[in-house]
Amino acid sequence: MIIILLLLILILAVYALSTSDLLQGIIALSAVSLLSALLFYLLNAPDVAITEAAVGAGVSTVVFVGVIRYTDRKDHSK
Amino acid sequence: MRMIMMDVMQWYLLLCAVVCIIRLILGPTTADRLVALNILSGIVLAFLVLSGVRHGRSIYLDVALVYDIFGFLGFLAIARFLKDKMHGEGE
Repeated sequence: MIIILLLLILILAVYALSTSDLLQGIIALSAVSLLSALLFYLLNAPDVAITEAAVGAGVSTVVFVGVIRYTDRKDHSK
Repeated sequence: MRMIMMDVMQWYLLLCAVVCIIRLILGPTTADRLVALNILSGIVLAFLVLSGVRHGRSIYLDVALVYDIFGFLGFLAIARFLKDKMHGEGE
């Protein structure tokens, strides 16, 4: 179960790096954070999972969306 | 018997998460990806509660509670962004 979760996190992280639409990258990054919270939970660290769920999946998504609201959505370097 | 059923349920939820992630990567529009992320959040929430019940430890339920509160903020921000983009940039 842990190996499957690690593979899913790897796939989502590669997608978040390679996409040129930054909003889709944010969505993939939120899923990475969600699955890593689940991974910490399965590895018997529920306090780390609480912090990851609050900061990683909640607050950082709001901050990233606020940033691309004031800048551009497309990645022009590709 | 009860433990076996909970284990089978956990694997089933993990399979649902895999299918949901396929839609999250392939989805043609951003709204598809947002809905896939929302369903994935529900699946992970069910997984956390099920695992907490299986191990009989109440601190495991706090993770599900905190994620459910803070994850909703993220979906709200993305949905608000999509709404503003759909109705034009001017406010």
